[in-house]
Amino acid sequence: MNDLESKTVSAMQERPNVDLTKTVITDDTKVETPAEKISIRNLNFYYGENRALNSISLPLFDRRVTAFIGPSGCGKSTLLRILNRMYDLYPGQRAEGEVLLDGQNILAPGTDLNMLRARVGMVFQKPTPFPMSIYDNIAYGIRLYEKLPKSEMNDRVEDALKRTALWDEVKDKLNASGLGLSGGQQQRLCIARSVAVRPSVLLLDEPTSALDPISTAKIEELIYQLKTDYTIAIVTHNMQQAARASDFSAFMYLGDLVEYGTTDQLFTKPRETRTEDYITGRFG
Amino acid sequence: MLDGVVKVLTRIAAITVLVMLGGVIVALVDGSIPALRAYGFSFIYTESWNPVTEKFGAAAPIFGTVVTSFIAMLIGVPLSLGIAIFLTELCPPRLKRPISTAIELLAGIPSIIYGIWGLFVLAPLLQRTLQPWLISAFEDIPVLSNLFAGPPYGIGILTAALILSIMVLPFITSITRDVFETVPPMLKESAYGLGCTTWEVVRDIVLPYTRTGVIGGVMLGLGRALGETMAVTFVIGNAHRIANSLLAPGTTISASIANEFTEADGELYTSSLIALGLILFVITFIVLAGARLLLARMKRAEGK
Repeated sequence: MNDLESKTVSAMQERPNVDLTKTVITDDTKVETPAEKISIRNLNFYYGENRALNSISLPLFDRRVTAFIGPSGCGKSTLLRILNRMYDLYPGQRAEGEVLLDGQNILAPGTDLNMLRARVGMVFQKPTPFPMSIYDNIAYGIRLYEKLPKSEMNDRVEDALKRTALWDEVKDKLNASGLGLSGGQQQRLCIARSVAVRPSVLLLDEPTSALDPISTAKIEELIYQLKTDYTIAIVTHNMQQAARASDFSAFMYLGDLVEYGTTDQLFTKPRETRTEDYITGRFG
Repeated sequence: MLDGVVKVLTRIAAITVLVMLGGVIVALVDGSIPALRAYGFSFIYTESWNPVTEKFGAAAPIFGTVVTSFIAMLIGVPLSLGIAIFLTELCPPRLKRPISTAIELLAGIPSIIYGIWGLFVLAPLLQRTLQPWLISAFEDIPVLSNLFAGPPYGIGILTAALILSIMVLPFITSITRDVFETVPPMLKESAYGLGCTTWEVVRDIVLPYTRTGVIGGVMLGLGRALGETMAVTFVIGNAHRIANSLLAPGTTISASIANEFTEADGELYTSSLIALGLILFVITFIVLAGARLLLARMKRAEGK
């Protein structure tokens, strides 16, 4: 136990921002240092009495994909659900610390949750199309914030569906129920729905865990394209997916952030043995 | 071998249902033949109900049944949905159990108790408070002044409807609460994740997702309201007439039957009461069929 604790501490000490920036600069695929879209600082989270996150600090860089990996129950989904304050729906769950989105602490009391969630979109483990038509699935979110004339709304819906490469598959049946699509299409519909509200951050909570390999590949391709416009955080159980789709990776274990770095560094030269053990499949 | 036995036994059980239903229908039709032969179709729209001259018509009880049930639904459905929404979406956990238990207890109260409570507590209360207020409040408004006219008796159509709304409340509430709880949390979260308010989630996600169940619950409540006998008999006034005012006494099909079966002498009187029963059966059947039709049409509209 002592050993574990000391390792966690050392992991946290090894992770000041200066270090990260260096890593980014030395990585010659990235020309400029990306800005910090979200800064998580000393974040603790509690389910009632149980502490689920222990003093997590890390940045999410603007227009980059950050992957969260780790065994089940390590707190990665919990962390994601803090970023749009989804946990607020459930009494007894609370967060301590700071999460700065564009410099503003979203954990501060008085934060407008509806506006926050318009800026931070979320996609879930399973596709969750609304019980309405494909068109309305997209238009619904837009209508919450904007009153658009019909033609403009049509453009927005088309744009969202094109961004998620769904347009050609559904353009002839926009009035059909969203529930009639295949699982992969439904999940892309859900991503399109989030994108349509024009958020700046997208949270993907194991978005491909219920999908077949072909649909998974399409979603990953989509993530690659979406990151030109969005800051993306993705939770995944799939190591290859994290390695393929993300720029930065964070390995979490039992509520601790064990290691954070560029995806290249984390998967090729992990600093922590626990990270290495996990990504090589020795546990988890 | 065993499978064969199970097959035969379950088949017998299933057929029993059909036989019983058929038996009830046959008995009702057979019993009402004398009345229907005597009055024909006019039985349905004749208001008079006179045992002395043996002139019977079902219009007043049909009117009372439909109006009391309609008003009961008007009050009971929004209230039930409100409770169910509060319980599933907003209720702090420590309040959830007491409220749920209270609703289940409400469902368990025998209707005779609603009846005496209605007669001895609710009716005098309404007579002193709500009814005079309704009469004076709508005095100068056309149509409404007719609806709430006349002396405040306490008992009457409105009082019966109020009792009915209380009685259907636990049924509709517990069914809608149960179906609301079948909505996947993830679906609700994805709506909240778009920035929906609780009301928007309920209106646009929860209700459309559960509409089949909600309509089922409402229909069950309506069935209960249409057929409820004891409590209604206590507070409706049992007057065979169709009044404009909701405050006036009236009667319902089941209240008439319950009230008069013992004193029904003569074949035509008895037969008229059975014919009332047949009409109630038909009304209930129409309500159920209407609900099915509505659901089928909604399903078609959804997948157009």
